[in-house]
This record gives sequence, C-alpha cells and structure tokens, in this order.
Amino acid sequence: MTRTVTQGRQTKSGLQYSAAARVALILFFSALGAIIMIPLVAMVLGTFKGGAELWRNGLNLNPEFSKWSLKSWRYLFTGVTIEGELLPHSYFTWFKNSLVIVLLQTTLTLFISSFVAYGFEMYEFKGKNVLFMCVLLVLMIPFEILMLPMYVQANSMRLLDNVWGIMLPFLASVSAIFFFRQYLSGLPKDLLDAGRVDGCNEYAVFFRIMLPIMGPAMSSMSVLVGMGAWNSLLWPMLVITSMNKYTLPIGLNTLFTPYGNNYDLMITGSCFAVLPILLLYVFAQRFIIDGMTAGSVKG
Amino acid sequence: MTVVRRFLYSKKIAPYVFILPFVLTFAVFFIYPLASTIRMSFQDILPGQVQWVGLSNYRRLLGDKVFGQAVFNSVRYMLITCALLIPFPMLFAYMISSKSMKSAGFFKSLYFVPVLTSVVVAGLVFRMMFSELPGALMNSIRGLFGKPAIYWMKNEYSSLLALILLCCWRWTGMNMLYFMAGMKSIPNELYEAAEIDGANTVRKFTHVTWPLLKPTTIYVLTISIYAGLAMFTESYMVFGNNTSPHNYGLTIVGYLYRYGFEKLRMGYASAVGLALLVGAMVINVAQLYITGAVGPRRTKV
Amino acid sequence: MKKLLAMLMALSMLLGIVGVASAEAAPTKLTLWTFIDQHAQFYNKMAEEWNKVNPDKQIALEATVLGYDDMHNKLKIALQSGVGAPDLCDVELGQFPNVLLGQPQLVVLNDALAPYIDTVVPSRLSIYSKGDNHYGVPTHVGASVAFYNVELLEAAGIDYKTIITWDDWSEAGKKLKEATPGVYMGNVETTTQWQTSLMLTEQGADFQDNSNPDDPKPTINTPELLKAVQTQQQWLKDGIAYICPGGQVDTEEGKAWLNTNVCATVIMPEWYMSRFVDEIPDLAGKYAIAPAPVFEVGQPRSIGLGGTGTVVTLTCPDIPLAGDFITWAKLSETGESMIWDVMGFDPVNTAVWDDEALTHNPENKFNKYFLTNVFDTLNEIKGEIKFVASTSISPTMNSYFSSTLWNNLYIDLLDAESELETAQEAIEADIF
Repeated sequence: MTRTVTQGRQTKSGLQYSAAARVALILFFSALGAIIMIPLVAMVLGTFKGGAELWRNGLNLNPEFSKWSLKSWRYLFTGVTIEGELLPHSYFTWFKNSLVIVLLQTTLTLFISSFVAYGFEMYEFKGKNVLFMCVLLVLMIPFEILMLPMYVQANSMRLLDNVWGIMLPFLASVSAIFFFRQYLSGLPKDLLDAGRVDGCNEYAVFFRIMLPIMGPAMSSMSVLVGMGAWNSLLWPMLVITSMNKYTLPIGLNTLFTPYGNNYDLMITGSCFAVLPILLLYVFAQRFIIDGMTAGSVKG
Repeated sequence: MTVVRRFLYSKKIAPYVFILPFVLTFAVFFIYPLASTIRMSFQDILPGQVQWVGLSNYRRLLGDKVFGQAVFNSVRYMLITCALLIPFPMLFAYMISSKSMKSAGFFKSLYFVPVLTSVVVAGLVFRMMFSELPGALMNSIRGLFGKPAIYWMKNEYSSLLALILLCCWRWTGMNMLYFMAGMKSIPNELYEAAEIDGANTVRKFTHVTWPLLKPTTIYVLTISIYAGLAMFTESYMVFGNNTSPHNYGLTIVGYLYRYGFEKLRMGYASAVGLALLVGAMVINVAQLYITGAVGPRRTKV
Repeated sequence: MKKLLAMLMALSMLLGIVGVASAEAAPTKLTLWTFIDQHAQFYNKMAEEWNKVNPDKQIALEATVLGYDDMHNKLKIALQSGVGAPDLCDVELGQFPNVLLGQPQLVVLNDALAPYIDTVVPSRLSIYSKGDNHYGVPTHVGASVAFYNVELLEAAGIDYKTIITWDDWSEAGKKLKEATPGVYMGNVETTTQWQTSLMLTEQGADFQDNSNPDDPKPTINTPELLKAVQTQQQWLKDGIAYICPGGQVDTEEGKAWLNTNVCATVIMPEWYMSRFVDEIPDLAGKYAIAPAPVFEVGQPRSIGLGGTGTVVTLTCPDIPLAGDFITWAKLSETGESMIWDVMGFDPVNTAVWDDEALTHNPENKFNKYFLTNVFDTLNEIKGEIKFVASTSISPTMNSYFSSTLWNNLYIDLLDAESELETAQEAIEADIF
C-alpha cells in the first residue's frame, strides 16, 4: 500500500479528456465548493462583526466592513471585552481539556480497538460469531437510550467528574473494531506465520508485525475518532460537573444561554474550535482514503 | 508466574485476551444498561418511588399521537437524507475521480471541512442563517427576489429544509470520501474492458462503477439509516431547544430525551428507547437482507 | 425599627468575630449550580459576606455556571439517580415542578425560611412548594409592569399616564400607527406567555384549576383566556403590535429588535429592567415605568412572573448550614439590597421596597436608565400582584403553548375558540 501504487490507480473512472468536460467539471465543483463554504464564511465574517450584531441582523454574507473590528478576537485571546473591561473566561482551559481528552482517547481507542479487531480477525475460537454479532448490535443501538443507566454505572465506578468517565465506555469502539477488522481481512496472513516462526509470541506478532503495517487504517480512523471525541457533547456533559474540567463543546454550550450574554466569545470560540481538528485532518488526509479503501467498505 | 505466562501466551487463550477489552466494555456499559432499560420500561419511576406497571408504558406509547409524530418526523428525515446523501455524493465522487478533473485534492479537502465542524457549531450557524430576522442569510436571499421575510423555523417544510440542508452540508464530503475509497478498489482493467466494448462515460458508470460500489453503498446506507433515525442534536441546536413549533423538529430520540431528561419519566422514556431500538434493528436487518449483504456471505460480514 | 434591629444584629455579629476569631473552623465546602452568570457572582459575594459575619460557620462556596437546559437536565438526572447533585442549585420556575416529582429529593426549607417568612411575598414561596413544604428560596417577585417609550409616544401626542385599560392602550396604538408608521405599540409573544398570564389574572382566572393539589386540571377553554388571546389577535389584525422576533422580548433577537427603537410598550416582569440596562443600552433615558393596563378599572394590575428558586439537595453534607446560608443570602436585608443594587430585581422581602435610600439611590444604574423610579410603581401595585399556579402539569401545558397554541393563534391567526378547545383536549391527553 505505497504511495506510488495509489497514484498509479488514481486515473480510472471515465470522463473523457475534453477541454469542455474539464472546464465544466471545474466550474461545477467550484460552485459546489462555494455553496459549501457559505456557512463557514458567514461564521468567519460574524467573528469580525461581533456577537451583538448577529442577533440584530442575523448571520449573513454581507461583509459590512464598516462594522469590522478585531475586538471579539481580542476578547478570546486576552479576556478584554468589547467594552474594554477585563473579564477572564475559561475558553482555553476548556480547549486544553478537550485537547488532552482527544489525544488520550484517540490513542487509546486506536490501540485497544485494533487489538480487539486483531483477535476477531486472526483467530478461530468458541463464541467468536456470537461475540461479533454483539459488536454489530452495539453499532446499531443509539447510545442515548442507555444514557441514564450508564450514568448510574459510571457513578458506581467512581467515574463521575473524571476524564476517564468520558472515555472509558468508548475505548473499545465498535465502529473502530469493525473498521480495523475489515482492514485486517485484506492483509496477507502469512506474515503472521513468518513472525511465529521467528519466535514471536501471539502478542509480539500483533505489536511487532501487525501494528506497524496498520498505519493507513490508523490514520483514517484517527480522524474519525478524534473528530468524535472533539465534538462529543451529551455524555461529557453528564459526566463532568466541575467547570474547570469542561470540554470545549460543553463550555461553548454554556455560552448559548440567554442569561450569559457572551456571544462574542461564543462566535470566535466556535470558529477557533474548528482549527485543531482541521489541522489533524490536513496532517492525516493523505492516508485517509487509502485507509478507507482497505477498511470499512469491503462489505 | 511462568504458569500464568504460559497460560496467557497459549494460542487457545490468546484470542480471548485480545477481545477482552470489548467483552468488558460490552458487559459493563452495554448489557447492564440495556437490562436496566428493559426493566425500567415496565416501571413508573419518579425520584424516590418506583412502581411496577406492567405493560402500561407500552400501551400509552401505542396511543400516543405525539410519539407517532416523532416517528413520522424521524422516518421522513431518514428517507430524505438517504435519498439525497447516497446518489449525489456517489455521482460527485465519480466525477471528481475523473481523469479530466484538476485540483481534485483541493476540492476533496474543501468538502471535508463541514464534516469537521461540530454539530454544536454548525447547528448554531444554521440557526442564525435561518433566523426570522430580515437580515439573516435565508431571508436576505428572499429579499433579493423581492419576497418578504418569513419565519423559516416555524413552518413545517422550511424548517425541514434547514435540517436537511444542515445534514447534507455536513455529510456530503464524508460520503464522497466513502465512495471515492470504494471506487479505488475497483480494478482498472474493468474500465479498460468496458472502453474496448465501446462504453461511454455514462455506461461505464452504470455497468462498472455502480454494481461494484454495492458494498460501499450498503455500508453508507446502513449508517445513514441509523444516523437518520437517531437524529437529535441537529434539531436541538437548530431549533435552539427540544421544543419546536408544532413539534416539527421532534425526533424519536428527542422524544426519549423529553421524557427521560426533561419530564423525568424514565419508565416511559425507556419504552420509547426500546421501540427505537427494535425499529432501527428491524429496518437495518431488512435492508441488509434486501440488499443481500447478509445471508450467503454472512460469515464474512 | 427593623433597621435598628439589623444594626444591632450586625454589631453583635461583629463582636462575635472578635470573640471567636481564634476558634475559626475549617470552611464547609458547598457546591452550587446556576444557569445565570450574575447569580454565580452574587452567591460568591454573599458567601464572602457570610464568612465575615459567621466565623464559626465558614463556607467555601464552589459555584458552577451551566447552560439552562444542561443544568436542569443534569440536576434532574442527579436527583433521579441519587448521585452527582450539587448541594445547592438554582431551579427556574418553569422547571420547578419537574424537581418536585415523586418524593422530592430536596430539603424542606420551612425552618430555614422561618426568620424571613413575615416579610416575604407569600405567593413567591408557594410556587416553589409541594403542600405546606417549601423547597425553594425565591430571588425576586417579578411583578409585571409596563415600560413605556415616552419619546415615541410623545411624538404621536400620547401621554402614557392616560392609559388605564387595554382599550385605551389599543386606541393609543392606532394613533401611534397613524403618526409614525413602522412603530408598534407593543408585541405579541409566541414562545411564552408573560402578557397572556397577566391578562388572565387580571380577570381572576388561571391556566389551570389546582383546587385539588394532587390532581390539577388544565382550564384552557375558558372565556377569560379567550378574551386575552382575542385581544392580542385584534392587535395584530389592527397592525398595532408586532410578533416579537425570537418569540418574546427576553431573547437575543427580541432585545436586538427593541434596541432598534420601534416598540412603544414592553409589558414585562420587573426584572426585565436588567435586560434593558445591560443589553439594550441605546434606549437609555427613553422609558418610563407604570402599572400595566387592565380590562376594567379595579382589576389587579400585576402578576409575579419568572424567577428561580434555589434548592438544597438531600445529599448536601451540611443541610442546616446550606439552608441558613441560602435564605440569608437571598432574603436577609443584606442580600436583598444586593439583589436590587447589583442585579436590578424586585426583592421578595418587601421591607426593602420602602428603604428610600436604597431604592431611590440616584447613582444606581437601573434608576439612571429609566425616567421614573420602579419602586414608585411597585409600591402602588404592591397589593395587586397575583400569580398563576405552577404544578406538575405546568411543564406539559407550557410546552404545548409555546410549540403549538401561540403559533396557531398569532402567526396563523386561526380561530381562537376552536384552538383553545383543541389545546384543552391535546393537553389533557398528554398529561401523564
């Protein structure tokens, strides 16, 4: 699964080499891109117009440069409000909490889920099919149904108001297990026997041989898991009670309250919150398609 | 110590060690909560008092018009999003993978940005774009055509439009990616063979790409059905809360949330949840059977 | 007399500090949730004050601010499951019936309230009660008043002081519309019922009949409610009222709309003053406060609306301390002065209403904003402040109102009589 191979396969589906088609395609995708960018552009414009303006005139694409100021952004970074008073906020505490959780949760989920997936794909054992049906069952059930008993469970395990409480139920992620198993099924198994012949035990085969070649699957999954962790709201909101442990979505959500009047922070903070996951994507995107090709979609 | 080591390292035991994390999570965070949910659906639960009420929660559910509306809304939303988010992203993916397409990488990244935007942020942005204020984006578009501002979120179809657009906006890029990945695994020789047979672009799509994309399509369909039926946060964010005009934005999970967390009727909420669970499973399994994803090839999954 | 007593008390407390300063105990940690930033600041300030005067009962208050829905839902889950609740919590009036379901997992505050019970508006306690048990400490009365934009009205030759009845008000509205097109006499709410509640209690009616507290019944299809909604429908048909952006004036859209200076009357609870001052700054110096109009002269002119009751949960480690602290913070004269001074609310301890030095302080930012003093109006209507019942069926009714009924009546202008009948049936069917 090297870069050159994928490059070689790049050009395959059908439209003809014609100048007209080329122009038409570019035009079409530019138009689509422009439409997709509308909400984001409106949001970025909004950060310069300030929170109060959003409620007065609504969010729109009218740049209204005369109303521009960097004061909302200044508030985000310095805690000095539009009016010029110092009103410290906790945005970057939330930001840091979210970063820590995303890093931990992504790393652990990838590791644990690939570990489990390896077990499912590489061995025949009693109860395997039943257990894998359980994986599919969990995939199909909306988590919201189980939220309250899960909360009670998390409490009895002393996981409330604790970052582990946010992560623990999701570390053996079923979608990641499913995905990794698909990926592994596409890999040659003789590698394992070669490893065993070399004297690796069952676990060393996984750690030394399989883990390193799962790179592409790991990268595409890292974006999906990282995205989920970064954006997750309902469960963290239940688990966390102290303000200094809030994650970013919880924090942003508290700014939505009609009683807070903190819309400058809300709009700039929302905009800024897209950044880390965007960076992660830019960093990992070259692997994403490769990983997906070999992963979830083989049916 | 060595006994333990030998035991753990034996080829018989190793697979169980590998799947242990899942089994533990499954037991603690799934089986137990699911069992409690089933038990609670036969109870009337209020703080400090629990009462067994037999099937009365289910009986109430059957006669509950608002629940019927929630089911209708969720199913309609699911059908529309499936109808939009499968063919179009597939077509776009086919077009963008074309040889004539320049800067495909740039566009792919561009379309993926909404996927990365959280529901909280995206929902807020859409809420403000669809606001009833005359200056808000959607109303200013109407203004361009000389039409008066309307209450976007207070009308059945215009509020549905907001939800559908939000969903399409967020997921077109993702689904395109799934289809592009699926297309990559189609051997090039098949296209070449089709070309030799004189197939044009359209025929190549209908005769090669479409049939061979079936596994991908089934996968995307499955997750879309699931996501459509379980939709809640989008509606919650776009309407500002879980109370929407005429319950236009009420979904099954929203109804569960209303009874479980807002009205504190956990027993009834559990019955709603189990109804959703059964519904989602029936639809998914039916879909998998109809499309042939399970059955003969079942063991492969 | 009361002042003297308060001073004596303060003095004795001061002496107390000197006396036991050496025996200072470790502070008791109390957690508190609220959904309002200013409330958190207020509680923190009051905790400091409390520690100054109660050296032997020090508290370390840890206040957390959460979003409105998040906080109430978290609290309800915590009460339901018996774990994770804070020691103290602000609960909004509309949500209060939900935390009283079943056996309330809250502390009965009757004892802690005892020192203040004589000076507190009784209806403000009963909305946070189940039977004779009081569970919530109120923040304000929330007496509804009319805020008149004198500049707009005078430009149309209208003197707000002559408006006594709703008929007067409508006539003034027509005159205003003629003189300044685009300016509205008032607004109609579609997501809440501040005005409708007032119009209902003016006629001595309520949305529900709770004569049997265990089995409250909705009373929607009444002539009184019909009159209230038809009056408002007529305003819309006459073009003298505008459907409030955001559904009501206490939303961001609503406040932004008011700020454009096109609305001559806002009929809202007293606490809306703070929204004017903090969030509608452009209109400073334009509004005067007066009693709201009535249908017939002699009807009660006000209703207490909105509010938060602070509760103490059963899982609190030091229940007596938490109860004493919160009642002191919100109901003592020290606390009540702060509630007016800092937050601009009408204190439930009406003794404070007569303290001219406090209420008529010219430096107070709320006094500065308005042309008249709010306490002049409040003292005028003091005996007329009614309330609507808040019971277990209120959340169901409110959600039907805001999601369906008001939209049908005011946006689609459907026939009021049949809509109220439909609402009555739908709500009866939806009650658990």
